[in-house]
Amino acid sequence: MTGLLATSLFWLAVTLGVFEAADTVSKRSGRRPLLHPVLWSTPVLIGLLLWTGTPYETYQQATFPISFLLGPAVVGLAVPVWAQRARIRRLAVPIVLALGAGAITSIVSAVGVLSLFGAPSEILASIAPRATTTPVAMAIAGQLGGVPALAAVIVLFAGVIGAMFATPLLNLLNVRDYRARGFAVGVAAHGIGAARAFQVDSTAGAMASLGMALNAATTAALLSILVLLV
Amino acid sequence: MLPTIFLLLACQLLGETFHRLTGLALPGSVIGMILLFAWLALVPRERPTLTIVTGWLTAHLAVMFVPAAVGLVNEGEALKADGVGLVVATAISTFLTMAVTALVFRWALNRFGPLDTVETESDSPA
Repeated sequence: MTGLLATSLFWLAVTLGVFEAADTVSKRSGRRPLLHPVLWSTPVLIGLLLWTGTPYETYQQATFPISFLLGPAVVGLAVPVWAQRARIRRLAVPIVLALGAGAITSIVSAVGVLSLFGAPSEILASIAPRATTTPVAMAIAGQLGGVPALAAVIVLFAGVIGAMFATPLLNLLNVRDYRARGFAVGVAAHGIGAARAFQVDSTAGAMASLGMALNAATTAALLSILVLLV
Repeated sequence: MLPTIFLLLACQLLGETFHRLTGLALPGSVIGMILLFAWLALVPRERPTLTIVTGWLTAHLAVMFVPAAVGLVNEGEALKADGVGLVVATAISTFLTMAVTALVFRWALNRFGPLDTVETESDSPA
């Protein structure tokens, strides 16, 4: 019986079951950022690991089929960007300038503020890709010697607060253009922000997904250049 | 379906190979994304299956990072030591990034403008 706790079958079924439950709650709430399914399924699964005395390494191997899909999913982000090529061409200058400014602000402010707290370098490497979408952030953090799990949770948290405060913050700054608003939310708060932007306006949503995908590539490129320089 | 899955994995594999050969910090999957984009530009045609498969993957992205997030179970020490800093830095950085991106975008839009001010239906994939 105890052998079952080390199998893929068991942990795949449990992970999908727990996630589905959390996702149902999230859907019923109208996708409120604070009820993001990952935010609630993660602690439940951690609880189950501790309760059954299963080491994380066992769980990680058992759920490999799920995490494996992240790679092809990241590759696939090229498709929505390609679909929006007409809009990208038309808004090329604002997109390039805002993307560059946003990506640099994100890296510098995240690493800068955290280093004021005296965090060690592997924690700094985990926050550097904060603004990218989770799979990209985990891959980058791993490359930089950071902790992918930490990167995943930081990114989620950034998405949640970004989605919650996007509307009041952008109103405060008096940015009314839905293209500027959506793009900013996507660059700063990736997929969770984009989901929120789609609730407000379809142009804002499309611009947010564009901002997310472009920033994933830009932040990855900026950080790898930085690594070469340092 | 199979050719589409092959296309995605081939892009990722090439990206991973490039990553290992150059030692570039750019992850293989991100290089793969750039390669797929280049492929779409070089060989332009309708790809309904690719749209469906990548749409499915993107729609289920959230569950794919649960196994990694559960890895936090091993990060108790780091969270105890740097938890507050992480929360503060993430919040400040998210607000600043959003503000800077929105303001620069608006400024560039006013200064240089879109080449064509009317957002038309031609935005949708051709």
